[in-house]
Order: sequence, then C-alpha cells, then structure tokens
Amino acid sequence: MTSGTFVAFAIYLIGMLAIGLICYRLTKNLSDYILGGRGLRPGVAALSAGASDMSGWLLLGLPGAVYASGMNQIWIGIGLVIGAYLNWQFVAKRLRIYTEVAKDSITIPDYLENRFDDRSRILRIISAAVILLFFTFYVSSGLVAGGVLFEETFDLSYMWALWIGMLVIVGYTFLGGFLAVSWTDFVQGILMFLALIVVPIIAITELGGWDQVTDTVGQIDASYNGVMTDMTFMGIVSLMAWGLGYFGQPHILARFMAVRSPSDVPTARLINMGWMIFGLYGAIFVGYSGIAFFADNPLQNSETVFIEFVQVLFHPWVSGFLLAAILAAIMSTIDSQLLVCSSALTEDLYKAFLRKDASQKELVQVSRFAVIGIALLATVLAMDKDSKVLDLVSYAWAGFGAAFGPIVILSLFWRGLTRNGAAVGILVGAVTVVVWKQLSGGLLDLYEIVPGFILCALAAVAVSLMQGRPAQSVLDDYDRTQRAVKTGRIEPSE
Amino acid sequence: MQGALSTATWFWLFVPMLSVLALSIATWLLKK
Repeated sequence: MTSGTFVAFAIYLIGMLAIGLICYRLTKNLSDYILGGRGLRPGVAALSAGASDMSGWLLLGLPGAVYASGMNQIWIGIGLVIGAYLNWQFVAKRLRIYTEVAKDSITIPDYLENRFDDRSRILRIISAAVILLFFTFYVSSGLVAGGVLFEETFDLSYMWALWIGMLVIVGYTFLGGFLAVSWTDFVQGILMFLALIVVPIIAITELGGWDQVTDTVGQIDASYNGVMTDMTFMGIVSLMAWGLGYFGQPHILARFMAVRSPSDVPTARLINMGWMIFGLYGAIFVGYSGIAFFADNPLQNSETVFIEFVQVLFHPWVSGFLLAAILAAIMSTIDSQLLVCSSALTEDLYKAFLRKDASQKELVQVSRFAVIGIALLATVLAMDKDSKVLDLVSYAWAGFGAAFGPIVILSLFWRGLTRNGAAVGILVGAVTVVVWKQLSGGLLDLYEIVPGFILCALAAVAVSLMQGRPAQSVLDDYDRTQRAVKTGRIEPSE
Repeated sequence: MQGALSTATWFWLFVPMLSVLALSIATWLLKK
C-alpha cells in the first residue's frame, strides 16, 4: 500500500468515526437510535438507501462481470433500476405513513404486528428471526469480501483488515445509531458516486473516446458488444428478477420509514434513482473499457478491474480516495444490516418479550450492546473465510424479497389481507426460495425469487380470502392510511 | 455515440434505465 493510499484510508476512517461522535449527541431515545427520529432529509434518505443497497458488488462485482463477459451483463442493472423505482414509487410513501399510523412502528416486524393487530406475536417472532439469521451472515460475508480484497490487493493481513474494518463500523454505529449510519452512508454514497463517474471518464478519454473503445472491444471479440451473447430468455428473466428483491429488504425499507415527511419522497426518489442509474452506468463502463485497456495484459481476477484502473490512471494521492470508495461501498451495507439486527433484538425481542416497561435510556443501551454482540459474532464467523455456513447468504436477497416483498406490498394496497395470510405468505415465500435453490434443470434454473414471490402472494391472498374480514380496528388503520396518502396529513387516532 | 455497438445493444443499454430516470424527473416535477 502506498503512503498516499494509507493516508487517504486513514482520513476516510477517521471521518466516519467523527460522524458517529456528532450523531451520538443527537440520539436521545430508541426511535432516534433505530430510525433517526423519522427526521431524514430527502438527500440523506436517498443516498443512504442507495449506499446500503449497493455493496462492494457495484465497484467490484459488476465491473468484473462486464469485463469478463461484456454487455450481456446489463440485464441485472435494468432489473435493479426498475425494481428500485417501483419500490420508491409505490411502497416508500405508503410505508412511511402506515408505520406511523400503526402505533408508530419502528421496525418491519413491529409494523407487521401492529398492522394486523397480531396479539399472538407470531409475525413479530418469525420476521425478527429471519432478519437476525440472514443479516448476521450477510454482515459476515460482507466482512469476508472486504478482508479478502485487502489481503489480495494491498498485501494486508486478512485478520488485520477484518478487525480494523469492524472496529470502525462498530465504533460509529455503536455511538450514533441510525443517524450515524445514514450520514456515513450519505458521505460513502457521494464517494462511490464520484469514483464511478471519474474513473470511466478518464479511462474512456485515455483510450481515445467512446467510439474508439467500442471499436477496440469489437475487434478483440465482437461477442463482448452483444446484449444477447450466451443469454437465454430464462437467463434474462432471472437477472432482471433481482429487482423484485427490493420490496422486502428491511435495511432499505427502514430508509422509507425514516424519511422526514411523506412529501419528501418524490425528491428522495429522484436523487436515489439518479445516483443509482449513473452509478450503474459508471460500473458498466469501467468493466467495458477495461476490456480494451487491459487487452494486452489481461487481468487474472476480473473483479479487480476498477482497482487496476485507479492504480494505473491516477496519482497515488487521488487513487487513495478513489480506492476508499470500495471500503465505503462495503461498509455502508454492513452498518445498515448491523443496525437492523440490533433493532430486531432490542425492539422485537427484548422490549416485546422481556422488558415491556424498559426506559428509553435502557433500550438505547441494549441496542448499542446488541450492535457489539452481533458484530462480534459476525466477525468470528468471518474468521474462517472458507466456512460453508457463509453460503447461507446466497439465500438472503431472494429470501427477503420473496418472504417479505409481497406481504409489504399487499399490506399497503389490500384491505383484506389478514394476519394468517401474511404469516403463511412469509413462510411459503421463504420455503419456496430454499427448496427451489436445491433443484436444477429446465424451468427450475429460474432464479428462486420468481416462484417464491409468486407463491408467497398467492398463499397470502388465498388464506386471507378463506379467513374473511379483518378486525374493525385493523380496517380503521388501513382507511386512515389511505386518507393520509391522499391528503398528506395523518389524522390522530381515536 | 453508438460506435461499434449494434442497435439492439445500444437500445437496451440506454433506453430502459434512462426512461426510468425520465420518469423519476417527471413524477418529481408533477409533485412540486
């Protein structure tokens, strides 16, 4: 690692901790710690949703895939953009309002319980358990990816990278909770965006312009320029179906719940979509121009194409900050998932079952120590980077999307959805994803989120129709939410 | 701008994602 890179990394990490310290002073109660007191400005909500969503995949995985295969990798980008847009358009504002109407719910399990007035608490238990299980492994595999990257690229010891990274993330999350996570995500989002704009522009200019790049790539192998190269219809559907996952990701939905006012959603949506679309273009063009740039000396690991560009094209002092964007991408996802785990432990298990009358001060303290506990568990799991248990993470995106996605959408748009319908839907969605993933051949090669999503929705509707009309109090809350969506004003409960 | 890209590639690369961006701008302007 050059001294320039080292100094840039150090400045970045210290900056993140400073944000944590500032937010520590602004956090007074559990709603502040878990949801920032529902006061996120649209720009912060937008970029923190984007940065939490996009992990190291945006700077490493996607450019690497395009570098290795060419333009046929754009389908996943198209699917993600459409999914994210629909989520912002149809879910964000309603979820923001409904979570406030439903007894001011501050987590997704909390919302599900209050939305259906579920006295059995089964929805809370199932959803909190699913969140804790998958996000712990998600955090862990994020740490492994970061550690391996630093080991391979900068010759840093894997263990050192793992523990230093974790220490900084825990530091600011422990101190400042949701506000710190959102504001660090905001800064991290800007850093990622700048890197993904600057690097491809310089790379394409260096190669003599866009037309020159496409010509060179076409001469190397014309199949790189085809969107249909090696693609089947089902392959394209599977890649685009990643976009379905958005409706059920708790760490992204939390940003919707935290936005300052429902009327801020259109602005946040525009900022988020602009960030995401230009970021994805940046990542695609990095990989694509890499095919031409590294033609004489192909990269051994395609996922390092962004890193190689930065090191070749920029002065060490600039490259340090551009490489810090990779750290930013990885950390901004881990911190949000860590905090969602902490909220599931504190709000959905500790407060709901153990200490109903706990003071706000006690709850914030429990949340903080939950952050440390889960972080330690995730780090210990990540110490064996080849551990098979980490394979569980490959179920996470589809699992959340298929189990929670249809239920979140139905709960916002269908008056007739019942508690049992929601519970059965979640289970059917989750089980379908796990079972489908084990099977292969023909239609079974379809990405498991598609059957999971469809079967979850069908099961939820069928069980709800069989069960009949939900309780009057549930219907009253639903109607109050619908009126608030139209008027923009939430009526006080009776 | 199209360079050596086929029309199909050029279309799928730019039209869907930029249409979503245009839609975001339009819905934002309508709500202003």
